[in-house]
Amino acid sequence: MGEMEELRKEADNLKDQITEARKVVQDTTLQEAVAGTTLVGRVQLKTRKTLRGHLAKIYAMHWGTDTNCSKLCVSASQDGKLIVWDTLTTNKVNAIPLKSSWVMTCAYAPSGNMVACGGLDNMCSIYNLKGKDGNVKVMRELAAHTGYLSCCRFLNDSEIITSSGDCTCILWDIETGTEKTIFAGHLGDCMSLAVSPDFKMFISGACDFTAKLWDIREATCRQTFSGHESDINAIGFFPNGNAVITGSDDATCKLYDLRADQELITYQDSGIMCGVTSLAASLSGRLLLAGYDDFNVNIWDMLKAERVGVLAGHDNRVSCIGVSSDGMACCTGSWDSFLKIWN
Amino acid sequence: MSSPTPAEDEVPAIQTGPKGVINDWRKFKCEDQDTPPSKKALLRQISNPQSDDAHDRLNRKMSVQEYEMIAEEDEKGLRKYRKQCMKEMHERFSFGPTFDSVVELDNGEAFLEVIEKEHRLTLVVVHIYKDGVKGCEALNSCLDCLATEYPSIKFCRIEAAATGASERFSDDVLPAMLVYKAGELLGNFLSMTQHLSEEFFAADIEAFLNEYGLLPEKEFVACPDEEAGVEVE
Repeated sequence: MGEMEELRKEADNLKDQITEARKVVQDTTLQEAVAGTTLVGRVQLKTRKTLRGHLAKIYAMHWGTDTNCSKLCVSASQDGKLIVWDTLTTNKVNAIPLKSSWVMTCAYAPSGNMVACGGLDNMCSIYNLKGKDGNVKVMRELAAHTGYLSCCRFLNDSEIITSSGDCTCILWDIETGTEKTIFAGHLGDCMSLAVSPDFKMFISGACDFTAKLWDIREATCRQTFSGHESDINAIGFFPNGNAVITGSDDATCKLYDLRADQELITYQDSGIMCGVTSLAASLSGRLLLAGYDDFNVNIWDMLKAERVGVLAGHDNRVSCIGVSSDGMACCTGSWDSFLKIWN
Repeated sequence: MSSPTPAEDEVPAIQTGPKGVINDWRKFKCEDQDTPPSKKALLRQISNPQSDDAHDRLNRKMSVQEYEMIAEEDEKGLRKYRKQCMKEMHERFSFGPTFDSVVELDNGEAFLEVIEKEHRLTLVVVHIYKDGVKGCEALNSCLDCLATEYPSIKFCRIEAAATGASERFSDDVLPAMLVYKAGELLGNFLSMTQHLSEEFFAADIEAFLNEYGLLPEKEFVACPDEEAGVEVE
C-alpha cells in the first residue's frame, strides 16, 4: 500500500507542475484579447430545405467534403438506414439498409466514394458508393472493437479512424480490414473524434472527462486536456487546426488552444442545464453551433463567449448538427425523422 | 431556457448522440415482449442512476451483459417501438396551455409578464404596432387568423406607445414581431413589411415564421407506411 501512496503523490505532484507550467506561459486571457471586438449581431437562420424520407429519429449526419460533394450529406437513422442526400435538390442519392438499427455515427469519405457507419454492433461498416453496377454494397466490416462504435472519420479512401465505447480509438487499413494502430489511453468510453485539417492528428473526447490529441503516424498521445466536470460527448477542431472545441455533459463547451496547451474559454450560461451532445463551428470559427440534449441548438459567438441566437426556434427537435465544408449551410437532424438545411 | 422542472418530468436519460442510442436501445429492450423478465430487471437496474455500482461504472456506459443482449433483435418489434417513440416525443413537447385569440397587452408590465411568466413550452409572438402605420392593420388580421390555427401559440399585440419603449419602436421599424419562449428572445423581426409583399395574408406570415423554424407541426403526422420503404430518385 505504501508504494501506491507514493505513486499517487507523485502523479498529483506532476499534475500540479503541469498546471503551474501552464499558468506561467499564460500572458493574457481570451476575454482581454478580444475586449475591443464587437459582439456578433443576433443570428437568425432560415430553413432552406427539408429532407424527408427517414422514418425515425436521426442519430447522426455528416457532410461531404470534396468539391464534388460539398452539397451532399449522409444521415443515419433509428430506422436502420443510411441516406445520402443532394441537399440542393433534396433528392435521395442513395438509401442504404443497415444490418443494425442502432447506429451511432456516419461518415462521408473526403473523396465522396464511400460512406461508413457503426454503432451498437461494435463494427464500422464501409460502403462503396461508386460500385461498377451502380449498387451500393458493404465493402468492409471492420470488427475488432469490444465496445460500441461512437464515431468514425475517414482520412482517405484507404484509412479510417474509429472511436469506441471500449475506451480506444483505432486507425484501420480499409483494404485489408485490419487495425493499423490502436490508440489507448482514455479511462472511459470514447464518445467522439475529429481529424485535424492537415490530417496529421486527431482528437478524441471521452467519458473520463478529458480530450486527447493524438499523432496519427507516431501513434502517440501528444496532449491531454482536462477541465470538464463530466463526460465529453462532442469534439471538433477549430477551423485553423490550432484549437479544439469540446462539448460535455456538464452543460458547457470549452475551447482549448493546442500551442498554449490549455483552456482558453468556457461557453456556459446559468440557464443551460443539460449536456452538449453535438457541435459544429462555422467556417471562420466565429460562431459555434452547439446541440444540447434537450434538442435545442444554441449559437455562440466564439470570441466573446456569448449566445447570439438559437437554431430552429427552440423547437426541441434537433438531435444532431453539422456545418458544410464550404461553410455555406448547416444541417440539423431531428427526432421527428426530418433533416433541415439552414443558413 | 427550456430546463425541465423536476415536478413535471423525471430527469430523462440522455437522448441524443451515442448515449441516446444506448438509452433508446435499453428502453426498447425493456418494452419488447420478447425480452425475458430477468433481463428487463437487469436493464432497469443498470440504467438506474441510484444503483450501488454506479460509481464504479462511472466511465463505462454499457455493461458486458448488455453487449451480450444486443445480438438478439426483432424487426417487427422495432417498427412498433419507433412509432411509439415519435408519438411520445410529440406528446411531450405539445403539452402546454392553449389560447384562442390574440391578446391585447395594455402596458409595459403586461408585456414583461407575458415574456417571463408563460409556460416554458409556449411560444409567445408579440406584434408591436401603431395605428396608421402601413402593414400593422393587415398584420393584426393575419395574426387573428393564425391564433385560431395554432392554439398552442400565444399571440399578443401591443401599441408601440404602450410598451414604454417607444423610442425603440419608432414608426420606421413597425410593424415589428418579437418571438419569445421560456423567457428568451428567439426572433426579432423589425419592419416586417420589408420581408413581405405589398399584399400579404395569414399564410405568408405562417410561411415566414416557419422558415425560421418557429412554428410547431400543426398535427402529428403518423409515420409513413414502412412497407413502402425509401424510394431513391
